[in-house]
Amino acid sequence: MSHALHRYGTVENLKNDFTLFARTSRWVNREGGGPKLRKILDIILSEKPLNFGSSKYGKNLMSGLDLGEFKTTLDDAVGVVCCFSDRESFKRVLTKLKEAQIGISIVVSGLIEEVFNIAKEIDLKPHTVFLSLGIHGNKELLPDGKVLEITSMCGHGLVATKLVKSTIKKVKQGTMAVDDGAKLLAQPCPCGIFNTDRCQQLLELYLP
Amino acid sequence: MKIDSEKCISCLECLDYCPVGAIVEDAESVMISQDECVECGVCLRASVCPVDAIYMPAESKTYPRSIRAELSDPGVQIPKLRQGGRGTEEMKTNDVTGRYRRGEFGMTLEFGRPGTGTRIAEIEKITKTLCAMGIQIEEANPVFYFIADQKTGQMKPEVLNEKVLSAILEFKIKEDKLVEVVNALTPALEKVNTVVSWGLISRVAEDGTIPVLSRLKDLKLTARPNAKINLGLGRPIVEE
Repeated sequence: MSHALHRYGTVENLKNDFTLFARTSRWVNREGGGPKLRKILDIILSEKPLNFGSSKYGKNLMSGLDLGEFKTTLDDAVGVVCCFSDRESFKRVLTKLKEAQIGISIVVSGLIEEVFNIAKEIDLKPHTVFLSLGIHGNKELLPDGKVLEITSMCGHGLVATKLVKSTIKKVKQGTMAVDDGAKLLAQPCPCGIFNTDRCQQLLELYLP
Repeated sequence: MKIDSEKCISCLECLDYCPVGAIVEDAESVMISQDECVECGVCLRASVCPVDAIYMPAESKTYPRSIRAELSDPGVQIPKLRQGGRGTEEMKTNDVTGRYRRGEFGMTLEFGRPGTGTRIAEIEKITKTLCAMGIQIEEANPVFYFIADQKTGQMKPEVLNEKVLSAILEFKIKEDKLVEVVNALTPALEKVNTVVSWGLISRVAEDGTIPVLSRLKDLKLTARPNAKINLGLGRPIVEE
């Protein structure tokens, strides 16, 4: 699925928003891929990702994913997915993955210019790009763009507009801290690609 | 999903969690509109109900309603394809599968995204357009199995009113078909009563550029500044 592709936002607020998906192919390298995925997960964890999770498991790190148990499920998993909000950690992870030569496909999302610059810095040659050509159809059905910037951080569309609006209301009223709001909104996204740092910055705009 | 009215204490804690706003309250109780619910399971997984009144009834797993969960809850496997998720590996593994070669573009139309959901009938409006152009819909995507007639793009009647959080139409075209396809799809998408997130897959050129970007601009289709990028670390790599 197109998952991390259609994240809505401005160049400015998408700048430190990176997702990473290590993905096996059922036709090429899924079978016996468990140890490779565990190795990739260890590399990712060494650079402290902001969040990660599993749609199969139904939980992310912030909603109670048990890391030990999760590792055991990787034998029949399609991959490992996570997000970063720091360019340098993200670059170090990619460098380590390149050096490790594991052979599993690595797909990232972020600003095209930023990702291509990082790739150039560490001598990686991007292979294929998936472009987002925007939203079409009946756009009157869409919520406000500021709400979309938050909901679209879950690629499966599981973060509800109503939940974002009620969280914004609580932040405005001063009854909820922005970091608590960001953690609450990250919970429905089982894959863990919901960037809580970015969400926090977006919620800060509503502080009284 | 359903709410057990015997257990529900109308605390309204679950109300905000539904991505399609299917949880509604009336004077007496809180209920889930069975017509609107896409069976994504968010309300249940949120674990906010203090009396465990939310549950998935047996009928949610019966065809054709079963397609709601299959396309809305990423944890549910699609039996026919033995895979989870609404789409395929698409470009995620293109460095090892070579699914999209130079001279080809992949296209995805994700109906109901972001955040509105879609009836399958809305997708049919576009499968008819694509099939009339002789375009083959991707077989490894669950939507393929909703189509009754691959020549006309007509969907199976029993799935037309089913509502899902999103569903992706995937297909491949030759580079020289880009103008024709964009010119046919742009007006057709305006007639769809849901939102559609449009994506295009392209190989990165040998010199590290993305030549299709300027072609898209000429077609008044501006690509967003963010994208998904396969970094070419899979092995053995397909270079063509």
